[in-house]
Amino acid sequence: MNIQIDGKTCIAEPGESILETARRNNIDIPSLCHHEALPGLACCRLCVVEIEDATGNRLVVASCVYPVAESVTVYTNTEKIKKHRRTNLTLLAGHVPEVKGVLLAYCREYGVIRDDSHMKAVVKEKCILCGLCVTACEALGNSAIQMAMRGIDRVVAPPFNEPSLNCIGCASCARVCPTDAIDCESVSGNRKIWGKTFSLVKCAACGEPYATVDELDWLKGKLLDTELNLAYCPNCRRRVSVNTGK
Amino acid sequence: MKKTILVCCGTGCIAGGSLAVAAALKEKISELNADAAVETGIKQTGCNGFCEHGPIVKIMPDDISYYRVRVKDTAEIIGNLGKKPVERLLYRDDAGKRVKSQMENPFYATQKKLVLRNIGDIDPGNINDYIFRGGYEALKKALSTPPEDIISEVEKSGLRGRGGAGFPTGRKWRIAAGYDNFPKYVIMNGDEGDPGAFMDRSILEGDPHSVLEGIAICALAIGASEGFLYIREEYPLALRNVKKALADAENAGILGDSIFNSGKSLHLSVVRGGGAFVCGESTAMITSIEGGIGQPRAKYLYPTEQGLWNKPTVMNNVETFSNIPLIIGDGGAKFAEIGTENSKGTKVFALVGKIRRSGLVEVPMGTTLREIIFDIGGGIPGERRFKAVQIGGPSGGCLPESLLDVSVDFDTLLSYGAMMGSGGMIVMDERTCMVEVAKYNVEFLAKECCGTCVPCREGLRKLLDILTKICGGTGDNADLEMVESICEALKETSRCGLGKTAANPVLTSLKYFPGEYEEHIAQKRCKAGVCGMGEAK
Repeated sequence: MNIQIDGKTCIAEPGESILETARRNNIDIPSLCHHEALPGLACCRLCVVEIEDATGNRLVVASCVYPVAESVTVYTNTEKIKKHRRTNLTLLAGHVPEVKGVLLAYCREYGVIRDDSHMKAVVKEKCILCGLCVTACEALGNSAIQMAMRGIDRVVAPPFNEPSLNCIGCASCARVCPTDAIDCESVSGNRKIWGKTFSLVKCAACGEPYATVDELDWLKGKLLDTELNLAYCPNCRRRVSVNTGK
Repeated sequence: MKKTILVCCGTGCIAGGSLAVAAALKEKISELNADAAVETGIKQTGCNGFCEHGPIVKIMPDDISYYRVRVKDTAEIIGNLGKKPVERLLYRDDAGKRVKSQMENPFYATQKKLVLRNIGDIDPGNINDYIFRGGYEALKKALSTPPEDIISEVEKSGLRGRGGAGFPTGRKWRIAAGYDNFPKYVIMNGDEGDPGAFMDRSILEGDPHSVLEGIAICALAIGASEGFLYIREEYPLALRNVKKALADAENAGILGDSIFNSGKSLHLSVVRGGGAFVCGESTAMITSIEGGIGQPRAKYLYPTEQGLWNKPTVMNNVETFSNIPLIIGDGGAKFAEIGTENSKGTKVFALVGKIRRSGLVEVPMGTTLREIIFDIGGGIPGERRFKAVQIGGPSGGCLPESLLDVSVDFDTLLSYGAMMGSGGMIVMDERTCMVEVAKYNVEFLAKECCGTCVPCREGLRKLLDILTKICGGTGDNADLEMVESICEALKETSRCGLGKTAANPVLTSLKYFPGEYEEHIAQKRCKAGVCGMGEAK
């Protein structure tokens, strides 16, 4: 189907979100809580856009979860939208004193002046509570971490703040985090994450530590009879399988 | 002639000691009955609404209402049965005259009790009391009515959801009925969480069968055979009465496997809410019933299409369901005679705060705020002045004295920045600081929102910071600009209804009481004397 985004006719697949269609058509919409491998979370509210229906009514919606429809026209960068994004970025930046990476880039793009005049209580906070880590862990089937508490007390934590039995130390949470907020240390053959320490396994070819023992055990359980040589890291595994024809 | 003594045993009166009063009355009656030709009965009823003057004891059919009854008064009450009423226990009206009947009491005189039709007169634990007053007749009628016609009747009544947003109930049912996707579900929203509100609690406690009947009619209309009653755990009496009512109705063959032997079934289960305010939001409640964390869904899909377990679901508020038997029983047209053009029927309010007569009141839609606050509520106690009334709970707006004559209906309230909400009405006098009230509401919402989306969680956090600063005398005008941007972002970019309305108390206090913010910021002064201004004082 066709959908009008910022005056451009874009081809959209039924069922996909406005954000997906727009990005594929090189229309940039900012977002912090979106990952192409995961469902839309609609948390950061930076991806808000205005849609206009056939009768001319306009509505602000989160483009990462709003399904495309031919009947609506999308405007991704109106003054109103820019203002809302600026406000939401100001709020986030105020809560996260160490603004870095993609968040900092957005702050510059939208002219956000960091204002932490009210945020003295917050020390070294990095987490913007986007929920990507929780969703990634859930998608892998482990659900070792969850959103705990509600409202302004909300935090990401393993159950009861105790090291989770389900955690396999895969660090997928840390990898999807847009603000580098999850403490994940890998030193002398061990990885420390969420209050647990995991032994790292080195690749038989390149010698780089590439997974935890628990992660590989979990993977074996998932793969069942599929033959996959887990002695190598994903890069070396490809090379080895090409060379050996296996 | 046989007398019946009705002892109010709603939560308010129980707190005032009504269970002991009832026990004492029972004991004395048994002594009396032993040598009397005419038997006197006693009944424990639901909430009469005038909780502030409880425990309430009524003598029928003499129509005598006693207030603030203590155990020590019981001997005199029994002794005077059939003779002159006990003068000192009667209500003293505004002119100072003792009045005998409930209808002479100005608190009740102008109320119109539709939803509260049975409450205070029946024993909620006795299904026969409800049936005796015509209960479950509407359900019988609905059984022989095509679903299409049930929905038309509800549409004709003009009933709009009493939970807050005021969505037309009939239209909601029609949408859900239109999907050919089974099973469908019906959910009762009894997660009343607004501070100071107790409408739904009183209905569930005092007349649970009226709600069950409404739910059953809805289930027939949309084709659901399973439903859930979501009641907050903090309402132990409501939970107990509803569970008993449900069991009684099933044993009587009214609900369960075959409704009145029709072959149509309806199985209802009670789900206890864990105390999160946000679970009152429909999709958060659905997630909570499914066993997940109570937070609103991200998707732009209505529960009527994909609700509980992604099946078509109708969720209505307690009070909405309680209206249904009346509409089906007497017809939608009759119901539509009451109220305004776009808001039909009555609305129950929990009238609380700085008011002489506080309690549960039911008035036709379109009644003015002045009538509710001054005629029914008796105005402000002492010689103080009225300052504001907050309608619609923590996300409602605060309306000033100049708007006292506006009509209380969905659209009018919305046009002034307040909302009907579920019906909390908090009256404030001149000793209230509006900035501090805004701060209180923001603090409540900041702690009770789910915390998922940025404008709501971070916006409320920042608003709370700024309002705390202003109340402490260190705010400046730049803060007010930030407040405005946050309120706009909240309204338009929040994920759910809680966030979209969270700015109301701040926006209305800024709109109707700008002087108070100015005073706090420029003069470091709080006229109401509420805010401590630190060193500037």
